[in-house]
Amino acid sequence: MSRNLSHLRASAIVLGLLCSPAAFLPLLAQEMPRTGTPPKLSEPGVAWAGFVAPKEPNYAIARLFNDFGQPATGIGPVTDDPAHPYVNNEVARQMRIQPTYRVADLNNAAARNLMPWAREALRTQNELVLQGQNGTTREARCWETGVPAFHLNPGPMHIIQGPREVVLMLTGRVRRIRLDVPHSADPKPSWYGESVGRYEGDALVVDTIGFNGKTFVDSYRTPHTDKLRVVERFRLINDGNTLEVAFTVDDPGAYHQPWSGTRNRHRVVRPNMRPVEFECPEANDDYFDIGLEPVPTAQKRHF
Amino acid sequence: MKRFRSCRICMSCWLAVLANWAACATLSAAPDISGTYWATTYSPTIQILGGGAPPLNAAGKVAYDRNRAGLKDGSIVDKARRVCVPDGMPRVLATPYPFEILQVPTDQVTFVYEMNHQIRVIYIDKPLPEPHRLLVEPLYNGHSIGRWEGETLVVETAGFNERTFLDATGLPHSDAMRTIERIRKTAKELEIVITIHDPEMYERDWQARFVYQERNDVRIEEYACNDNHRDLSAVKGVEPQ
Repeated sequence: MSRNLSHLRASAIVLGLLCSPAAFLPLLAQEMPRTGTPPKLSEPGVAWAGFVAPKEPNYAIARLFNDFGQPATGIGPVTDDPAHPYVNNEVARQMRIQPTYRVADLNNAAARNLMPWAREALRTQNELVLQGQNGTTREARCWETGVPAFHLNPGPMHIIQGPREVVLMLTGRVRRIRLDVPHSADPKPSWYGESVGRYEGDALVVDTIGFNGKTFVDSYRTPHTDKLRVVERFRLINDGNTLEVAFTVDDPGAYHQPWSGTRNRHRVVRPNMRPVEFECPEANDDYFDIGLEPVPTAQKRHF
Repeated sequence: MKRFRSCRICMSCWLAVLANWAACATLSAAPDISGTYWATTYSPTIQILGGGAPPLNAAGKVAYDRNRAGLKDGSIVDKARRVCVPDGMPRVLATPYPFEILQVPTDQVTFVYEMNHQIRVIYIDKPLPEPHRLLVEPLYNGHSIGRWEGETLVVETAGFNERTFLDATGLPHSDAMRTIERIRKTAKELEIVITIHDPEMYERDWQARFVYQERNDVRIEEYACNDNHRDLSAVKGVEPQ
C-alpha cells in the first residue's frame, strides 16, 4: 500500500515538474532528507527579532523590515508596485523620506498566480490605498494576523519549546504548535489554524490548516480561503544567530500554484525582556476620523 | 609525577561528574507544575481569604465608588472585556477559561491564558527589575520573579500599570501594588494564594485563594475579541450576559 502511495507521490511530483517546475521546487526541497539536530529555539533570555537596524543606512536590509523575503526559486509573495514603491518606517528613517502605505504589484508572477477574485480584491484594496484609505495593516488595527502574516512584525518573537508543543509569542499574540500528532479530523476554524509540528533533521516543520478565512496572508491584504495550508520550516543558520523561517503557502481556492517566502529573525539576548503584552486596542481609536478599520470589539460579554 | 597527574585528571573527572550531577539534581528539584488547568467556579467579586470585605482605606473607597459608578453608567470602559486587553493581577487568576503552565526554558515558568491570550512569564531566581524600570515600563500583569520553597513556587510581582481592576466589580489598585503568590500543585489541583500589598488603597495586606483542576485533556483554544468562545456552562458562577 505504502509502495503504491510512494509511486503515486513520485508520479505526482514528476507530473508537477512537467507542468510547472518552478512551483514544485520548494516542495521538492522539503522532500530531501535533512541531517542535524533539532534547532534549539528557546533559551533563557533569548528572543528572535524580526529586524536589527544596520549600522549604516542599507536600503536592501531596511526593505525587509516588515516584509517577506523572496524564495530562491519559484513564485514568491506579493510585492509592491514599482510605480508606487512601498516605503516602510525603517526605510523612511534610514533614507529620510516619507513613509507610504502598500500598493501591490498586480502584474508580476505573484499577482498572476492569484485567482481572478483574489487579484480583484487586491486591485480594490490598491484603489482604496491610492485614495488615502485603508492603508494600515490588519495587525496595526489589532486583529489577529494569521499565518504566515504572523511573522511579519519586526518585534522580538519569544519561543517556548516544550516536549509536546512549541509556543510562539509575538506582539502579544500567541500561536501553538503541537508536536508529533496528526491533524484533527475536523479542526475548528481559527485565526492561526491548527498547527502540528515535527522535527526533521535540523528543522522544525510546521503544517497548518483549519483557518477561518478572516485573515490576509500578507500586509497587502492578499486574501485566502479556508482551504489555506501553510508549511513552515524553522531552522537555525549563521551559527545559530539567525532563525530562518521558510514557508510554502497553498490554497487551491485562491492561488493557481503554491508560493513561497522567507522571514529571517535575529537572535537577541536580553535577560529581562518579557513577551509583549497585547495592549494594541488600548488607545487605538480613529482619532482623526480617516476611516480606520475599527479594532476588534466584543459586542457582548460572555460572562 | 605521572601517577600524580593521572590521579589529578581522575579527580577532575569525578569533580566534573559531581558538578554535573549536582546541576541535574538542582534542575530536577524544581517541582513539575506544568500542565493545563481550569477553574470550576467563577466569581466577579474577589473572594477574600477568611471572608469579609477588602480593607479599603479612604482613597481606596473613593476609587472603588468611582469605578463602580463609572462601570455602571458606561463612563468607565472595562477594556479587558470590551477590547480584550490583559485583565491584570489578580483578576486574571479568576479567569473562567483554561490556561497552561510551561516550565521551559528552565529559568522561567510561563502562564499562557486562553482568555485574551495573556502571557505571564515568571523568571526563577532572578531579581525584580530596578525600581525606575518598574515605573517606566509598567505592565498589565506586572513584572514577576519567583523562587521555589520546597513544593511551593513563590512569585513576587510589581510594576503594574493603573489600567486594570482587581476584580470584575472595579476593585481598585495603585501602581505601587505588589503581590506575592504562593503556587502549589496537589494531586490534581493547582492552588494560588495571593497576598495584595497596596498601602495606597488598602489599610492592610489581604489575601485571596484560587483553585484550579488539572485538565490535561483540555486543549487551549484561540481567543479573539468578539468571537464565540468555548462553552463555560460547566464553570459554576458564570452567568451568560
